[in-house]
Amino acid sequence: MNANDVRDSFKRRFAGRIMAARTEIIKHKLKQVRHASRVWITVDSGELKNAVRHLCKITEHPHFIVISGYEKGKYLELTYHFSLNYASVMEEVVLSIKVRVSKENPVLPTITDLIPGALISEREMQEMLGVRIKGIPDSRRIFLHPGFPQGVYPWRRDETGPARLVRNLHKGGGR
Amino acid sequence: MRKAGDIIGQESRDTYSICVGPVHPALKEPVRLNLRVRGERIEHVDFELSQVHRGIEWMGTRRNPIQILYLSERICGICNICHTFAFCRAVESIAGIEVPPRARYIRTIVAELERIHSHILWAGVAAHELGFDSAMHYAFRAREKVLDVIENLTGNRIMKAIMMIGGVRRDMDKGQARLVMEAADFYSRCSRKLEKIFLGDPVIKSRTRDTGILTRHDCLALCSVGPTARASGVRKDVRQDEPYGAYPDVGVKAMTPDEITGETRGDVYDRIAVRLREIKQSADIIGRCVKDMPEGKIAHEDKANVLLGELRGVQGEGIGRHEAPRGEVFHYVKLVGEEAPYSWKVRAPTYNNLLSWIPMMLGAQIADIPVIAASIDPCMSCTNRAVVTGPGRRQVLGQDMLHDLSVKRTRELRRGLRP
Amino acid sequence: MIEGLLLRTALVPIIACAGILLGLLYRGLDRVLVARMQSRVGPPVTQPFRDVKKLLLKENIVPRDAVGWIFNSVPVIALSVTVLILLYLPFIGMEPVLEGHGDLILVIYLLLIPSLALVLGGFSSGSTYATVGAQREMVTMMSYEFPLAVASVSIAWIISAANPGIAAFSLGAIAMNPAWAAVGPLGLLGLALLLLTMLAVMPGELGVAPFDVAEAETEIAGGVLVEYSGRNLAMFYLADAVKAVVLGTIVIALFLPWGIAGSLGITGMAAVAADAIFYLVKLFIVIFVGSIFIRAAIARFRITQVVKAYWGYATFVSLLGLLLISLDMLSRLL
Repeated sequence: MNANDVRDSFKRRFAGRIMAARTEIIKHKLKQVRHASRVWITVDSGELKNAVRHLCKITEHPHFIVISGYEKGKYLELTYHFSLNYASVMEEVVLSIKVRVSKENPVLPTITDLIPGALISEREMQEMLGVRIKGIPDSRRIFLHPGFPQGVYPWRRDETGPARLVRNLHKGGGR
Repeated sequence: MRKAGDIIGQESRDTYSICVGPVHPALKEPVRLNLRVRGERIEHVDFELSQVHRGIEWMGTRRNPIQILYLSERICGICNICHTFAFCRAVESIAGIEVPPRARYIRTIVAELERIHSHILWAGVAAHELGFDSAMHYAFRAREKVLDVIENLTGNRIMKAIMMIGGVRRDMDKGQARLVMEAADFYSRCSRKLEKIFLGDPVIKSRTRDTGILTRHDCLALCSVGPTARASGVRKDVRQDEPYGAYPDVGVKAMTPDEITGETRGDVYDRIAVRLREIKQSADIIGRCVKDMPEGKIAHEDKANVLLGELRGVQGEGIGRHEAPRGEVFHYVKLVGEEAPYSWKVRAPTYNNLLSWIPMMLGAQIADIPVIAASIDPCMSCTNRAVVTGPGRRQVLGQDMLHDLSVKRTRELRRGLRP
Repeated sequence: MIEGLLLRTALVPIIACAGILLGLLYRGLDRVLVARMQSRVGPPVTQPFRDVKKLLLKENIVPRDAVGWIFNSVPVIALSVTVLILLYLPFIGMEPVLEGHGDLILVIYLLLIPSLALVLGGFSSGSTYATVGAQREMVTMMSYEFPLAVASVSIAWIISAANPGIAAFSLGAIAMNPAWAAVGPLGLLGLALLLLTMLAVMPGELGVAPFDVAEAETEIAGGVLVEYSGRNLAMFYLADAVKAVVLGTIVIALFLPWGIAGSLGITGMAAVAADAIFYLVKLFIVIFVGSIFIRAAIARFRITQVVKAYWGYATFVSLLGLLLISLDMLSRLL
């Protein structure tokens, strides 16, 4: 299953509910020509779980890489990165599924029931971006110290971001 | 907040809690393992990571890509090529920058030298965790040669600072090529000797065989990467799956223990075997790269300010991956046409491998904790994106003096090694 | 009578000091030699002296959760008992100071006390690491006790059989009558096996790799000694150093008791000096084989492997040695 097949499979399954999908092939022109395949898909936040489920169906053991995220205006955008067809030369595809949640109600379902290895990343998203992951088996903080103030999310750019702490470093620690 | 008594002390009549770290002789970097133990057997595993978070990704969103190169180098001392390599690849993929072939070869050589030094360092640490200091000292002495070569190539033993977006910062001359070739030969032989020491020793074997088993199933479910995954029989290696740098020409094959010992059990012994054989693999790759190295430019653009100007106009998001000694390094970068990237996410290999500690340690003995913990080659700084140095600590040598000494040493090395 | 008592009393502090100095010196040699075997330069030979001096100057910290009086008294017990054992042994080729007041059996019992002191100290220090270490120390102690007893008793048996009427367990008597001379070829093989057992027990008694499970720096951060500091730690350190001399001397008394003066034809003070030097050489060889070399050559065992090594292999070898000796004795009777 190459990059275009992956994209098309998602397009068929989520007809109409998929916001954007593109593939990107990076060519390496050496003596041997090789390429790297990337697939970018944007889905509705309600469809995230189904997308991951579909992914588990079309490939065996998709490798979860990480979730990246940032704040954009009124929304938080999270990108779930997966690697498919690994352990074989040239066939690997890096699939990035992007979802968008509003800042007022940033709730996403957990995918740890499908891919247990996503736990650390989901915990990170909770503390760094303030996304609430519904059904997460372990919702403790992971990278932030327990003494770090509640309600401050380091990756946000608005008033809940860490700007206040950075300006007054001596007041950090929230005690 | 929890009291100290919750962590150390009796919990019930038969089990007690023992906490390893954040400061413990077995750990070279801070992490805390909270374990519940019955006698010597481990029944519950939990870990805390928050000791060294520095917010490097946050800092990155306030710097331009070339500054980030040096910042990313400081994510981790050992994988400093890996993070810069992955970051460069991410930015290059966004900007559509084509890296000249010679630069690709140099990048590959330096990355493989780093793998050799990291794996040997790891072998030494593993021996130390097993209480076998003689093997540790042997490994550390063997590691010196690769550090000398790295110093000769880049000017520093550890912080290489050779990567640049679109290429590398330093070329390799004939004398250096010869030196690298010698080192490759040396490590081919050295890996055989290390294999004999580590895989042949009956006590090491009895301590590591069937200790800390990670089954193929658990490995896939927990998304482990690098030698940890390969030792469990998952042939996952970015150099093989998605060749980049000079790897398309070299053709790397993922190393699994069945090629070395004839079977795959996924225990600590297998992880040792995989890492030691990868030293030889790296030495072979280096040898081929030096032999086949093309001539030509070493960078897409020599002037940093021109390059920055070029990058300032670029928009988009990109992914950079690199097979670090510990596994896959993954960087996600989003550029929006400003000086600094809008978002930067770093995924170090230990990030994914940490969860595999849990199945490995359950049912093991206290005596196995250090070697199991070490067997995934954890890099806490990478994972936390943080490092701790004593703030306000006074140096005996001033900065100028240290700098002068380093320059002097590098010159001496160059003089001594040139033909 | 009174004069003899006075002389013996005067000898006690001298022997105590000599034992401690010798212990520290051999500890220094140990560190240098291990360093050389690991291709390091290593510390100067005098390093243990400096370490002890530094420890004695440092503050003595008692943890809040510790049982203070036990915690503080066991280091004293460990050191004093270890030195006391020396008085029962033919130290530096001399007749034991307390000859006639205690024998090999007593020495074997006394050898338990420093280990027990460590165990008590570990349990009383109120740390999980120390508790784990103390449990391990106890298990190790129980494991090596049996092979040690078998080896000692066999020697006494040989000597009593060869010299009827002698106090066979007296260390003086054992040192005067080398067991090797009293047996045939089968017995020699048996004795060699017993010597091997003794050398295997030595690292366990001394707590060095591969049997350093009770301290296991990388696992339990120093184990039994994790909470000890300052003067208390210095005393444990000294006890450990003297214990190496004690065990070396026991092995020498049981298996290598010969002097060199007789065969060189030296008499008088020169003979005493020659024997003393020869003793130091023998002690070095025994400590080298039983502690220094093995420490550099092998990785640490798990506690289960320690038990297996002592209860299984060492016990088997010692019993085999005893069996060979019995056969030898029987063949002579027939």
